[in-house]
Amino acid sequence: MAKEKGFTKKNFLKGIVVENPLFVSILGTCPALATTKTVEAALGMGLLFTVVLICSSVLVSLLRKLISEEIRTPAYIVIIATFVTIVKMMTSAFLPELYSTLGVFISLIVVNCIVLGRAEAYASKNTVFDSFIDALGMGVGYTLAIILMAFFRELIGTGAFSFGKIFTFIPAFKLQIIPVGYEISLFQNPAGAFIVFAIILAVIAFINNRKNELKTNLERQAKIKKQQEAKLKAEQEKAKQVAEGETK
Amino acid sequence: MADKKHYIITSITLGAIAACSAALIGVTNMVTRDKIAQNEQNKITSGINSIFGNDSKIADEAPVDSDYKYVKYVYTVHGDGDQLLGYAFRTSGSNMYGKISLIVGFGEASKDFEGLSIVVNEQTYASTLVDNYINPLNEGKRELEDVSCGATYGAKLVRDMVNEASQVINEMWKD
Repeated sequence: MAKEKGFTKKNFLKGIVVENPLFVSILGTCPALATTKTVEAALGMGLLFTVVLICSSVLVSLLRKLISEEIRTPAYIVIIATFVTIVKMMTSAFLPELYSTLGVFISLIVVNCIVLGRAEAYASKNTVFDSFIDALGMGVGYTLAIILMAFFRELIGTGAFSFGKIFTFIPAFKLQIIPVGYEISLFQNPAGAFIVFAIILAVIAFINNRKNELKTNLERQAKIKKQQEAKLKAEQEKAKQVAEGETK
Repeated sequence: MADKKHYIITSITLGAIAACSAALIGVTNMVTRDKIAQNEQNKITSGINSIFGNDSKIADEAPVDSDYKYVKYVYTVHGDGDQLLGYAFRTSGSNMYGKISLIVGFGEASKDFEGLSIVVNEQTYASTLVDNYINPLNEGKRELEDVSCGATYGAKLVRDMVNEASQVINEMWKD
């Protein structure tokens, strides 16, 4: 089947904007609330999540014709759990600070609905390349979403951005934005995560509602204009007929 | 007959996927095993340094009697001039929220608890436990028995580990 022009770009971008797994589908909220204390931790979580999502989607797509209906779910779980275990071992060995910071939430990627959801809904029905692009888009979308949450939580909760504590291969530095003493530590707590998440969802809902309202208004105006034009045309037609009758 | 063939193929497919997964995990384990062990050893050393000071070093390491639930190893800690600074215990335990492994230090001069350091913290409320219980405990701002901190079950586990290590060190000092 021929694909429409720009399909790959659309396939990639849908995970970032229109089908963002966190802000639109509201999936994977548990790690999003727990690992967004700092931008660095959120970036680490996003990267690990993206790696697992891409690897499992590609493999599921590759084996889609071999895996029969009856063993689909156990096979997908085995594939996802394998990649999560590999990622966990690698992180523990080569990024021990990230491993300590994320703790149990690395293992919990296995039960993240987004990974199994994409395997079931997309990778099992599409080609390897399309599945790769879809997983990449979803992974990037999720990473950007949790980084956005972490940005507000770290900024308001600590008044500064710290780097180099988790990714120890970059030099450690701290960027103080809000003067010391004016930070609100509530935003570093779980309650703060819920508040930030709720505010972002409210803003997205407001923007979507405004967009829909504008679209409806434009459609209504176009309809009224069309009706007026039809009415004018009918009147002109009538006047023409009357004029012709008088001439006769 | 067709059904039988289908079920055999399905079983073989699932078995092959599981075998490949096991092989992949095995290879990764072989590659990362030494590095993970080295990281853990570094954490133990830096944990002991954070309790006894940067000059401290492990002079001896010995396993502890298996009768104890949490305490696994005891380290004899010496200072720069080889004087005995104290003892550190490697403790491990878990509850429904995950695993914790700690280094618990006791000073030889003070004959008292010196501090603790985290080696592994896989608790769901990991950061709450560290921020509200372990750090204040090390800074002397919280009592060991005061476990209401937002991660109470984790704090109870830490308290039990420290108490068991206290029991072991008291027996050692008595001898």
